[in-house]
Amino acid sequence: MKSRQIVTVTLCFFVSMLAGADVLTDARTRFQDGEYEQAAKLFEQALDESPPGAAGFFELGRALTKSGQEARAALNYRRALVLDPRFAPAASALQAANVALGLPASRRTWQDRVVERIPLDALTLAGTVLFWVGAFVGLAAFFSQGVRGRRLFSGVVVLLFGGVLLLVVWLCDPRISLANSAMVLTNGGTSFLTSPAEQSEKIAALPQGTLLRVLSQRGRWFYGELPNGKKGWFLTEGIVPVIPPA
Amino acid sequence: MKRLFLALAFFLPICLSAQEVAVGLSAHQAQVGEPIQLMVTVRGARGAEIPQKLQVNGLQINLAGRSTQFEMRNFKMSSTLTYTYLVVPQIEGEFTIPSFEVKVEDKVFRTQAMKLAVSADPRAHPAPGYPQSSVPMPSDQPPVPSGEGEPFFADLILSKKKVFVGEVVPVELRFYFNSRIGGQVGERPTFGGEGFTVQKFSNAVKREQVVNGASYVVFSFQSAITAVKPGPLEIPEASLDARLQLPGQMPQGFDNFFGNLPIPQGMFTNNRDVTLKTKPAQMEVLPLPKEGRPEDFSGAVGKFTMEASVSPKKTAAGEPVTLRVVVAGQGNFEGMGAPVLTGEEGWRTYPPSDKFQSTDAVGFTGEKVFEFPLIARQDQTRTPGVRFSFFDPASEKFVVLTQDPLGVQAKAGGGAPSTPVPATAPAPGDTQPSSATPASTPDIAVMAGGAASWTALIVRREFLIANAALAVAWLAIALILIVRRFTRSRAGLEMARRKHLKDSFAALKKVEPGEFYEKARDHLVLRVSGGKDDLAALAGIEASRLSPELKHALLQILERHGESKYAAGGTPPPSVEERRAIMTTLKQLEASYEK
Repeated sequence: MKSRQIVTVTLCFFVSMLAGADVLTDARTRFQDGEYEQAAKLFEQALDESPPGAAGFFELGRALTKSGQEARAALNYRRALVLDPRFAPAASALQAANVALGLPASRRTWQDRVVERIPLDALTLAGTVLFWVGAFVGLAAFFSQGVRGRRLFSGVVVLLFGGVLLLVVWLCDPRISLANSAMVLTNGGTSFLTSPAEQSEKIAALPQGTLLRVLSQRGRWFYGELPNGKKGWFLTEGIVPVIPPA
Repeated sequence: MKRLFLALAFFLPICLSAQEVAVGLSAHQAQVGEPIQLMVTVRGARGAEIPQKLQVNGLQINLAGRSTQFEMRNFKMSSTLTYTYLVVPQIEGEFTIPSFEVKVEDKVFRTQAMKLAVSADPRAHPAPGYPQSSVPMPSDQPPVPSGEGEPFFADLILSKKKVFVGEVVPVELRFYFNSRIGGQVGERPTFGGEGFTVQKFSNAVKREQVVNGASYVVFSFQSAITAVKPGPLEIPEASLDARLQLPGQMPQGFDNFFGNLPIPQGMFTNNRDVTLKTKPAQMEVLPLPKEGRPEDFSGAVGKFTMEASVSPKKTAAGEPVTLRVVVAGQGNFEGMGAPVLTGEEGWRTYPPSDKFQSTDAVGFTGEKVFEFPLIARQDQTRTPGVRFSFFDPASEKFVVLTQDPLGVQAKAGGGAPSTPVPATAPAPGDTQPSSATPASTPDIAVMAGGAASWTALIVRREFLIANAALAVAWLAIALILIVRRFTRSRAGLEMARRKHLKDSFAALKKVEPGEFYEKARDHLVLRVSGGKDDLAALAGIEASRLSPELKHALLQILERHGESKYAAGGTPPPSVEERRAIMTTLKQLEASYEK
């Protein structure tokens, strides 16, 4: 009985995978035929049905660009880069979309440079291995007999190096740093205000495609922070998180 | 059709309180000797001072006349003056008619400069640089609009009647309204049919034009069509909705009441919704020739040039370079496939991204940029070459453009790069550029590089559990080692001995009578000599600072044990009193050691 259930579940899984592949093929065909809006819908459907992937968001972004939805395209290029910061075509497409949206070029930080060069998951594993190797070597050296200073020192150094690598991953991984980030998709942008009231003083006008960090929510209002550190309030309508909610 | 009417009122007779000056040409292309009109329209004024002659080398421009129109609306009178210059091109070329001053009462207005393309050939060339019409428009059409004399009419102007499949043909839809009519026009015309595709329409361009002496306002919409199958092609009519204010008759009895008073023109108007329709047209669509068609022909039809560049010029190991190929010109950019790479051995290549930038309103002229991400499999000093083929309808031949490899310093990476395959769907007609490129389009999950989760590995549950397990293991090992080290230390040993003594003394209380001497001796030996033997215990007792009585009692215990063990026939088990006495002696011993 149990084995039959397992077989059924497995079959269902493969059938859903095949269905997802069909949607994707259809989306690509539509894209080739110039039916970009339809292609975008199908790409979205395919992404809903499969695990997130940088290439999928990139393709969706391309379809949205072709159908003139630059802001949504920029969001999906950014999502592709969150999943794979080394995805050069997505980076250049995002840059072009930002130019089309009239957004200023963002300054490259050291985190950007790190993630462009080093695969973060590999760095996480390397950091973890070094940390624990250092920890165990240090422990063994501490309780060993005889001359143990050098071994103890090596263990501590390796442990610290692994810890630094993990800290770098923590600071650089866009899945962590952009966890609370959102993008303005409202047509015509939105206003960044000093308090959660539409009549309050405007700090800045946020054009479509602006990226900001959401700190908290109060009713229809988000309290957030701009990349330049300014904090203020803005309406939740048309604000879409970079990392889709689970 | 979307019934969104332009908010702009499109004609002169609309009541204007402010003065306004506009200028326009009846055509922007002409042939040598073909006269065209330049009209200066002055609104809201009774007169204006304008130059009699304009000086432009190659053009003869003289003021030909003036007309005045009046309109009354809501009992407000407005007037429109139209000054007409006759422009006669003398030579072939492109001309700019400069701005000039128009003095209206005490104000001075400056007109806008205008461009005019003059050709010697009756098949006129496009007028590059003309702000509203960079799309080449036909001159083999009748220069006189079809509906002359009518209050409103429409024309469909095709740049060619004989085209190839896939060739982009600019079209222009012109909607003429007699300048005495006011009203509003729809935002976009309705146009389409079977066997061809239509590009988006440009925004309406409004100008004034004199047709057989009558002044018309012309709304022109530019677009382009592409035939998709060979054979005769029927282009159906295009239509545009408009709401017009047509001159009406005065109400019955009005003339009797006012008698012979002069009634201003335009005082009475009728609103009327109309649909202007062009006449259907025919085209002949030819198939692309099979002979001479390159194997990598990607479907591009038009006239193109190609340029390529590479960046960065120098990369670290495994880093990608981008080969940027710009295809510029006129043609079917939407249906164009990517160029193909040649000699890409030693490179890992991926399908390119592309971006089209149009320089006209309908996407006929512009440039398409293809960016190929390349990663060196082996150290490379030259990029792959690029080849792009297209069909040129003018020469009716296929043309192949090639780009030689460009210099670059790219180092091969150690393993497969994590830079993902950009899962770009190939553009229509794309050929796969290399064997490294996926032959088919696999599933997103397969093609995607990078992570397949929104949660970073460092905060993923499995990762945290594994690290927690390692932490527990580390702590357990640390604890074991600490305990082990303590038990081997002097304090640890002493603690163990004390515990042993305590256990041994406690066991004496419960031991069987037959074993009492044996256990009492063991406890005594353990206490005074660390558990060695009787001789060591004797020596220990002698050397100790115990009282002589206690020493004697202890020696008695050893002696009793010897007797019970070695005497023939053995000794009886100790009596209760004797047992109590021995326990008391041993307690005293413990107490003396505690001190």
